[in-house]
Order: sequence, then structure tokens, then C-alpha cells
Amino acid sequence: MRLSGKTAFVTGGRSGIGRAIVDAFHAEGADVVACGRGEQPDGFDARWISLDVSDPNAVCDAARILGELDVVVNNAGVQLEKTVVDSSDEDWDWVVGTNARGVFNVCRALIPQMSLGGAIINIGSISGTVADPSMALYNASKAFVHGLTRSVAVEHGPAVRCNAICPGWIETGMLKAGFDLATDPKKAETDAIARHPIRRFGKPSDIAAMAVWLASDDASFATGQMFTLDGGMTAASPLNPGLF
Amino acid sequence: MMLTGKTALVTGGRGGIGRAIVARFIKEGASVFAADLTPGGSLSGDADDGSTFLKLDVTLEQDARDAMKTVRAAAGKLDVLVNAAGIEIEKTIEETTLEEWNRSFAVNATGTFLTSKYALPLMREAASRGSSASLINFGSYDGFIADPGLAAYCATKGAVHALTRAMACDHGPEGIRVNAICPGYIDTPMLQSFFNGEGSGGAGGNLETLQQAVRDVHPLRTYGTPTDIANLVTWLASDEARYASGQLWVLDGGLSAQVQQMKL
Repeated sequence: MRLSGKTAFVTGGRSGIGRAIVDAFHAEGADVVACGRGEQPDGFDARWISLDVSDPNAVCDAARILGELDVVVNNAGVQLEKTVVDSSDEDWDWVVGTNARGVFNVCRALIPQMSLGGAIINIGSISGTVADPSMALYNASKAFVHGLTRSVAVEHGPAVRCNAICPGWIETGMLKAGFDLATDPKKAETDAIARHPIRRFGKPSDIAAMAVWLASDDASFATGQMFTLDGGMTAASPLNPGLF
Repeated sequence: MMLTGKTALVTGGRGGIGRAIVARFIKEGASVFAADLTPGGSLSGDADDGSTFLKLDVTLEQDARDAMKTVRAAAGKLDVLVNAAGIEIEKTIEETTLEEWNRSFAVNATGTFLTSKYALPLMREAASRGSSASLINFGSYDGFIADPGLAAYCATKGAVHALTRAMACDHGPEGIRVNAICPGYIDTPMLQSFFNGEGSGGAGGNLETLQQAVRDVHPLRTYGTPTDIANLVTWLASDEARYASGQLWVLDGGLSAQVQQMKL
């Protein structure tokens, strides 16, 4: 068990990638606390606190409950499909509030009470490096996460390590909803899979596997980096004449 | 005129992108040597463009020496070197023979090395006369992300990118700036060959449909022209770019700024 004796806090632990990280940490022996907006989900093994990470005061209150932590995973995030011109002030507050300010709130409140050698794992995105169309605020919020990851690593090492995982297309409810909007969902899915050298989408457990490694002492020399897990998608040009 | 009084040498100077660079350099007042295997380069017909043709096989050390001897005799200095000569082999590594692999590196990587190596004394000469000497290599966006079926080409361009940074470190103190241009899809004979190639998926398909599909993937909805590349090469060659060095300049119509464009 690679995380025995460690206490971990995972934001956005209700479903998808966050839930997979909670389960994987638990299986590796960690004591896990997860948070999300709303009540504890049914059948949830780990401890749960209701928390909206975009609220700085609520995050400070949560910090007092949490005590010393070895691992913090900033996974909570929202996605909005709009261009810059279509995005309202409320959209900005919603996306940037959770994805950017939420990560900042959690880092600011929890770094002082992390154990020496603790690890922060932020969930960035390939969208923070290359643009997904009509996802302007999401893309920019993930680029913020990448920048903050480097700053935390530089400013708070060696006490704390900080890395980001940049997932590509991961099989979550969000991905399925995207294909349901396509004119021919089956064809859209086939096309998308063909653009992955590994010929499948990622699973939440793929991301959780890297989170376990980054949280473990095996990763004690890893800090300040963005680790992309996308089945090879962004290693290839977006232009693939073989698919025309 | 941005390049008045400058002496420039462009390898692959009679090919697709090379010709556009040579034409623009002349328009900007430079004295230009167009170096290529033949006066027509990869295009049909000699280019009557006001440049001086230099026969140069960039893979041959003696050719590089001889070319620089000619430049020294004619101009005594070289302000601008553009390493535009390049070839592309459309194959995966399993399909690529050792000979093809070596040929790719000989032209794209070793050619850049050899021409630069023998040009440096002449470029130092230009720098010592107060010019901002500029060496411009041809990388590719393929040096960052892969096109299918272009393995050796991608690898040579990655090599050029690393060499560009290394040369910028080594020769910056001598007053020589070193940069690489990294084109995306540019309308050249090389691109047409890619469209028709097996690896591109275009073999046997409708060429116009394929070309339109390629345009549609670009945020600017078009692929580039040799003139687009020449515009940036000209700026990098000029004294306006006197603080630009060690960089890889991607010019691809926004292609690589986006993730994969799924058909949804």
C-alpha cells in the first residue's frame, strides 16, 4: 500500500475523476477526506465535508476541520461551452471562481498546515495548453492552474511538492453529454477515438493512477511539472488527413 | 527597405519557400545568393529573380566550403543565412529504409550544420562591421507535434530545433542571432506531395476535397503560402529583430494552438 499513513484531501470528490482518485487513495491505504457542493453521496466510503471551493471563507473554515494533511488534490472544476464574446460576468465568476480561485483558495488555506514533504496535485488540462473551441474561460482557467502549480512548487518547495495532471478526453458524464449533442453520436465517438494513438478515451482510473504516484514517496523528486495523460492525442497534429 | 546593404544566402533558394524568401530579400535591398542543387530547384524553370545562383548540395562539406569561398570573394561578409533546404519522406519508421533515414538527416540536419559551420566566419565578419547578423533555420511545427507517416522528417526537425538553441547560445556573444521558423502547412511542392502520399490518407482521394478539409481545420481557414513564411524570415533577417534569438517561431495559421478537431 503506497499511501499508508497519509491523510489526503480531494476536492470535487463526488463523481468522475475526483471519485476515482478518492477510491484509489483509499485502496492504497490513505485516510481520505473529500469535499463537494452538497451532501455526502450514497455509498461513499471516505469522510465528506460540504464545501464550495470558490468561497474563501468556507475554505478557511474547512481548513480548521481538516487539520494536518499530507496530500491535497485540487480536482473540483466546472466546464462551460462558450466563446469569449458569449461569456457573461456570471459565467466568469462561475468558471474562474471554481477552477482558478478555488485552487488558489485551497492552496492558500492548506499549505500552512501540510506536513513536511506533502504533495499538492492540481487537475489542469490539455485545454490549458492548446485550445478547445468554444471553451474560452475553461481553457484560460486551466492555464491559470498550470501557472499557479509552478509558483507553488517554486515558492513552497522543498516543504511541499506541487504538480498538475493534464487530462485529455476522459470518460465521464461530461464526455458522454458532448457526444449526445452530435448529429451522429456513434460516428463522432469513432472519429474522436481514431485521434488517440492509444485508440481509446481515458478512464478516471487512468488519472487516479498518476495521482497515486504523484502523492506517493516514489515521486519525491517530481515538482513543478505538468503531466499530460491524453492517450497521445496532443502529440499528434490536429490536422489528420487520414480522417477526412 | 528592410535589408539594404545586407548580403544573404538562402539554401533551397530555388525551391518552394526558398524562392519567396529570395524574391522578398531582393525587394528589400539585399544582395542574395540562391543556393540549390539546380538553378530551377524543386520547381520547374530557372528563376530569373535577380539573385546569384550558387550550386550547393548541403550534404557535402566541400560544397559548403566552396559556396562560402564564392561569397567571401564577392562580398567579404554574410549578414543573413537561411537554411531552407529540406526534404520530406512520407513513411513510418518501419517503412523507412536506413538509406532514407540517413538521407533525411543528411539534408535537414547535417545540411543545416554544414552550411552554418562554414558560414559562421563570414557572419562574424558581418557582425564585426556592426550588422545584426542573422542565421535562420527551418524547423517545423512537426518538430513539436507529429503528422502521421512522417517519422524521419519529424525527427530531423526536432534536431534542428535543438541545434537552433545550441547555436544561439554559442554564437550570440559573437553578434550572431540564431532562430528557427517552424512552418505549418504551406502551399509548396512538398505539401502537394504530402497530399498525394500514401501516409496522408489522400492517396486516391479527391485532391480539392482534401485541400478544403485541410483549410477548414485551420483557425484562419487557410493554409499558408511561401510569402507568409518569407514575411517572417525577412523580419528576423532585419535589424528590427536585433533582440530576437534562440527562438522557434511557429507560423501555422493557428493550427497547433488547438486540440484535435473532432467531427462532432
